[in-house]
Amino acid sequence: MPNDFSSLVHWILFLPLVAAAFSALFLRRAGAFAAWFSTATAFTIAGLSLQLLLQSTGDVTWHVELAKLGEISLGFGYLIDANARLMLFVVSFVAAWIHLFSVGYMQDDAARGRFFAGLSIFMFSILGIVVADNLLMTFIFWELVGFSSYMLIAHYFDKDFAAAASKKAFITNRIGDLGFILGIALCLHLYGTLDFVALKAAAGPAVPVAVGALLMCGFLGKSAQFPLHVWLTDAMAGPTPVSALIHAATMVAAGVYFMARVSFLLAPEVLSWMAISGAGMAALAGLCALAQTDIKKSLAYSTLAHLGIMGCALGLGHPELAVLHMAMHAFFKATLFLGAGSVIHGCHHEQDMLKMGGLLKKMPLTAATFIAATLSNCAVPFFAGWYSKDAIIEAAWHGHHHAVFAFLAIAALATCLYSGRMIRLVFLGEANSEAAEHAHESPWTMTLPITVLGLVFAVGAGFAAHYLIPASSLQVVDAALTSLHFSFTAPSTIIGLLALVFGFGGALKFYGTTRGADALQVVSPRAYALLERRWMDGLYRWWIDGPQRRIAEFIAFLDLLLINGVAVRWIAGGATAALGHLTGRTFHRGQTRGYALWIVIGSLLLAWYLLAR
Amino acid sequence: MENTTLAHHLLLAGLLFALGLTGVLVRRNLLVVYMCLELMLTAATLALVAFSRFNRTMDGAIFVFFIITVAAAEVAVGLALIVALYRRRGSVKSDELVTLRD
Repeated sequence: MPNDFSSLVHWILFLPLVAAAFSALFLRRAGAFAAWFSTATAFTIAGLSLQLLLQSTGDVTWHVELAKLGEISLGFGYLIDANARLMLFVVSFVAAWIHLFSVGYMQDDAARGRFFAGLSIFMFSILGIVVADNLLMTFIFWELVGFSSYMLIAHYFDKDFAAAASKKAFITNRIGDLGFILGIALCLHLYGTLDFVALKAAAGPAVPVAVGALLMCGFLGKSAQFPLHVWLTDAMAGPTPVSALIHAATMVAAGVYFMARVSFLLAPEVLSWMAISGAGMAALAGLCALAQTDIKKSLAYSTLAHLGIMGCALGLGHPELAVLHMAMHAFFKATLFLGAGSVIHGCHHEQDMLKMGGLLKKMPLTAATFIAATLSNCAVPFFAGWYSKDAIIEAAWHGHHHAVFAFLAIAALATCLYSGRMIRLVFLGEANSEAAEHAHESPWTMTLPITVLGLVFAVGAGFAAHYLIPASSLQVVDAALTSLHFSFTAPSTIIGLLALVFGFGGALKFYGTTRGADALQVVSPRAYALLERRWMDGLYRWWIDGPQRRIAEFIAFLDLLLINGVAVRWIAGGATAALGHLTGRTFHRGQTRGYALWIVIGSLLLAWYLLAR
Repeated sequence: MENTTLAHHLLLAGLLFALGLTGVLVRRNLLVVYMCLELMLTAATLALVAFSRFNRTMDGAIFVFFIITVAAAEVAVGLALIVALYRRRGSVKSDELVTLRD
């Protein structure tokens, strides 16, 4: 019975919803209990997804129709293929450890009940996207994810910057979602169905460009792709576990997952755009990470770079590679963020990397895991990141996409540069502030997750893929790796190794030259300022303040003139004028009963007219 | 029961409606006017149920459930408005509430 697993999926999907409701309703004041309750739920889900991953072989499908509007059927259902199984496992597994980390990290927070309820509702939403079998359900959970992200970014809602960042994230996502919902409408119009399986059958080889382009808008917003990437770096205003879970490992990857799911709807033009813009963003964001002193912001740019690489893989026509990179990235980036959280916690909430330093001795476990994850991030051979990232670079080379390949090579170099810089500034050298001087290792609830995620998965997820990911789901990984001729003499490996030696080594040396200041800023302030400046934010500000405001004012003027002026005032005034001043006084006596009488007379006249006709 | 026909039901509904309408037109206390309004609405739903019964379908009867639900919500809003009006003006007489005339 291949469909026997649907009840398991029910549990996986609805357990977090129940947990969220319970926490939000009853545990607002019992923070400690809410924390452990939510964490226990998360681990249960992780266990169940592991069971699903290990035991189910075929696709799990389950569907119930919610409404039927003429020919159109709207439903709720599951479609769990190999990609979805892998994604389910990665999301729930990473999330479970992040929950445990949060128990330690949020120890002193007064609003823990709200925070963990938010984490649980986020779990529900993201798992909904993963299992959804139709576009409408995806969209609903997509919006739920947006909402929970908004809620968690604004956890410190009394801080202005957090409130502003949550608003920015939400609005930017809404812009993308407008395209998404138009794309859904277009699919419905063209194919008459929203079901993924039926869509695939109906779509055929030649899909209009507009379908893919509109659906891609949702991906641009959620996965923070150019030009809607501006919200992600601001989203770091949320607590660090939130950054790790939502804005690095899972939510932003949901866009990639979704694009892989509807890859049959993407026309070649859309794919080319994704490939080139993804690669371009990867290179640019990697360089921008060099000009950030806040450790979380620097990691956020790194996430942007990796999302660009995933988008690029999709564009190159390798959705399975994109999903693989998403999984690997989830492991090492979650570790990096949690490690950053541990560092921030240890340094008494200091986030400025220039004020850290020498933490290797004071926080050995955190340092070891952070460095392991960094090496994975830099795609050191046999580390998790190497398998997926180099495969993508290889795919660009084999596909003869020279511009994409060049951008990816720059991205690889930039990755090594900012990684080396981060390691050098945070963990090596001398302590640069009082806080770093008195840093202490974090409690076990924080070090255990980063140890598991960092040392086991960020390092070995790719190497041990055959053991960690059972055969039933290996088709994703295998298809990714065997479809390319993967070897040590491949251009991607050579580029990667060169980037590693010169980038990582160079950064370690270069950033050791100045203490308490950024070496690049000292050497070339102009280059630093160029990278630090937020060009797109400036562009948006100009556009909204300038042209868009003019357009809005013009429309407001039309509204005033046509609706208020001509339609309401003119007709109302004209009618009174036509009937004379006298009638105005006769009718409008201010007596409710008088008006009621007129209504009755009018109704009777209307009834008489209709009956007599 | 066998002798009751659709016409009887509709006559009753019509009477109720007329009663409500008269109340709306002649009474001055807004609270009473409001009750009369509800009476008119009920008369309409009664007609709906009668049609549903004699056409041997459930559509009208089901529809009435929705009307009753919405009417309940609407009553809550209306009563709240009347209470608020009384607190502010000290009166719910319709002929005293004529400030919009000027």
